[in-house]
Amino acid sequence: MTTNNGRFSGWGRHFHRPIFFSLVTLTTLGAMSLLSAAIQDDGVTPLELALLILYAILMLWITASFWTAALGFARILRRMGRRAPAGDIVQDHPEEANESFKTALVMPVYNEDPQRVFAGLKAMVQSLAETGHPEGFEIFVLSDTRDPETWIQEEIQWRQWALELDQPARLFYRNRVENTARKSGNLADFCRQWGGRYRYMIVLDADSIMTGETLLEMVRRMESDRRVALIQVPPVPVNRSSLFARMLQFAGSLYGNMFVAGLAYWQQDTANFWGHNAIIRVRPFAEHCGLPQLPGHEPFGGEILSHDFVEAALLARSGWKVRLADDLGGSYEEIPPTLIDYAKRDRRWCQGNLQHSRLVLARGFKSLSRIHFAMGVMSYLASPLWLLFLIATGIEAYFRSLKVPVYFFGDNVLPVWPESYAVEMATVLWVTLALLFLPKLLSLILLAVDPVQARRFGGLPRAALSVLIESFFSVLLAPVLMLFQSKFVAAILLRTSVGWPAQERGDHQTGLAEAVGAHGVHTLIAVATGVATYTYVPAFFWWFTPVLAGLALSIPVSMITSRTSIGRLARRAGLFLTPEESEEPRVLSLLDENLAAPQTPPFAASSDRDVWSQSVADPWTYALHAALLPDEMPSRRRRHALEGLIFKLQDEGQGSLSQQEKRTLISHRDGLYELHTLLWAGKEPPVFDLVQRQEERMAEAPTS
Amino acid sequence: MGARIDSAPALPDGTAMPTKASDWTRAARRVFEYLTALGVREPQEIDRLSEQVRLRLEIRATHAPLEDAVEAAIEETHALLDEWLTVELGIDGDANALATARAAVLGGTIPGWSARWAGLAGDALAPTIRAFQRDAVPEFAPLTMQASMIELCCHRLRRRIADAICRLFCQPDLPTNPRGERS
Repeated sequence: MTTNNGRFSGWGRHFHRPIFFSLVTLTTLGAMSLLSAAIQDDGVTPLELALLILYAILMLWITASFWTAALGFARILRRMGRRAPAGDIVQDHPEEANESFKTALVMPVYNEDPQRVFAGLKAMVQSLAETGHPEGFEIFVLSDTRDPETWIQEEIQWRQWALELDQPARLFYRNRVENTARKSGNLADFCRQWGGRYRYMIVLDADSIMTGETLLEMVRRMESDRRVALIQVPPVPVNRSSLFARMLQFAGSLYGNMFVAGLAYWQQDTANFWGHNAIIRVRPFAEHCGLPQLPGHEPFGGEILSHDFVEAALLARSGWKVRLADDLGGSYEEIPPTLIDYAKRDRRWCQGNLQHSRLVLARGFKSLSRIHFAMGVMSYLASPLWLLFLIATGIEAYFRSLKVPVYFFGDNVLPVWPESYAVEMATVLWVTLALLFLPKLLSLILLAVDPVQARRFGGLPRAALSVLIESFFSVLLAPVLMLFQSKFVAAILLRTSVGWPAQERGDHQTGLAEAVGAHGVHTLIAVATGVATYTYVPAFFWWFTPVLAGLALSIPVSMITSRTSIGRLARRAGLFLTPEESEEPRVLSLLDENLAAPQTPPFAASSDRDVWSQSVADPWTYALHAALLPDEMPSRRRRHALEGLIFKLQDEGQGSLSQQEKRTLISHRDGLYELHTLLWAGKEPPVFDLVQRQEERMAEAPTS
Repeated sequence: MGARIDSAPALPDGTAMPTKASDWTRAARRVFEYLTALGVREPQEIDRLSEQVRLRLEIRATHAPLEDAVEAAIEETHALLDEWLTVELGIDGDANALATARAAVLGGTIPGWSARWAGLAGDALAPTIRAFQRDAVPEFAPLTMQASMIELCCHRLRRRIADAICRLFCQPDLPTNPRGERS
């Protein structure tokens, strides 16, 4: 181990965790002592005890977050004081480094926009080419797509790009017959079939973008320490235009940096895997990260949904290092464009994270892995706990309002004034708010210290104004997300499983009907709670207004923040600017160019033929699709099933087939051939402009 | 003429029996459209290939009555293309290689392939077709990936407690299931 930067060296690193956990514990105890002083004036009632317990759990959560940010702040400040180039890492095992090896850029996809998927990958490969060292990298699109039309479009994109890349082949594509175990099963299938070809795989999400320099640096860091099995490079959110997404992007860029630095400080070699934008050593991953089914049924049993945390824990359990590269940039992702999409994504993640509650105490995991699991659980459980805390506080306030002060009792001749705990209560509130909002202030201090970075955020005054507005909106949005997440947790605890729908990734705006459907209940809750508290506990009502306002205004706020026009207006005004917007990284420009490049348009549905049947009828897409299917002799049973589907198609028309049935028909060469012939033998031949399509393909094709 | 398939399969006695004229009239138009969709543009090529399809159809009609002449004509066009590719590339019963070659030629990126198919061009196209073929996946390089063991804490705790209670209080002759656990 002979590195100077980018890793933890010296004995000081042994104190990182004790420092962090001591700070968290002491702050929590301090805050709890304040609250207990404020409420136990007359002994502790069961309700007060419940309040204290809830507050303790929530404070632990908040202080962990605060101290992560604060330590990250210190770490970045320290880093600013010295040059930290990534170029001085010395090889631990130069003999191994000299061996030739391959790295796979693997992108598992599931019903994603094929154009975006391939444009993103192309941008990364172009960026790699610009570094001058693209050799050794291969691209693997691991499709779990079930939608038959998207499947065919993916194949077209693969073929066109594969021809452009020329030989030897560096771009591969496969669609899994069965998408068993979702993304983790997809990656496992890759390892089982082609893992031996690669020393590393860089796992990407459908919206991931990484620069060529970062990809090279990731490989170099893995080569420099062969005990490292995984390096996670934190992705920065980019590329969205709506106000909601731009605020998230701004927060992710400005505060995220600090949080990530803090996480790296205390996680050290037992960091976590975030599911994408990470490099993984393939062999140990294959050896240790095969995921078992958890005993029992969904939602807590069955397949492990959020596989990333578990894979990191399994690697750490086996003695491998898992690192978070907080000093490495060039890693990007796209985020949901609206509040409702964000909540939908939460719905999917919630179940996977809650499932980890079963793993917290599982045998053999490292303590820090258990903390990762617990933090994952808390990231969703915190919402219902806050909700319970608010309800308990309201009830406590109501009971207190019923008490009639008694000024004269016993032998006292002078009035005995009731003790006021307003100061203690206010202190509790201010401490909590400080822990929540101080990280934002710290990030502004970092900008003040670094004028170059401040300029990238639009200058310090604009960044400060952006922080102020973002904080205002986060106050409004927090209760809405609290209710959403509480609902999700409740649904999961009531054993209602969630599906695994594809993510809505493109910019789109929330309409009134959608907003009312999603937030109508929130508004009603706000009105009912507002009336109740104003009537019965008026003093509490005013403390409660920030929460009530967020819920009452959820419909307009959700709609307004989804507007791309407002997002762009804010951008023109220099608000919520991120470094990626101020100086667009080359890889993001390449992505834009690739998306804008003319392409053979995908088939468009016409009145008599849908996209699926047009794709099957087109001789080239038919031939291409058939070439990518496995050559299997159909069993009698399958032949009958396929014939049955074809009869159904003939008798009842294209609309009678479900997506699954359409997929089944084109999943086997024999069914596909039957279908292709049938479409051409129909009363009317396919009417789409095949000739024009073919000419467009000829114009695009490389002339080798 | 290289690998041109310019003769229809013959009957055992060497003669070709014509299909009904009305059948071919119905099918001819669709064969023309299908050939155009395949990328055959030149009228001369279309004529040559249509004629071969017609001959194949006639032979086929002698074996069994055609249920649908149009469908049979499309199938024969397809078979004609496959036969040409098989000969042109020397593919011997390799369905994957044939499918890959079909995708390569129908991509419209190989100049002159339709003339070669129709038997109107002499230059071998095998190297060009191979240059436009792409393997979707590399050679298999498998790794073993078994499911790791995760021992959950307190899993079956309820059953263990029940078993313990049972051991203390239940009758010793309580029946057990095949795995030796008390039922």
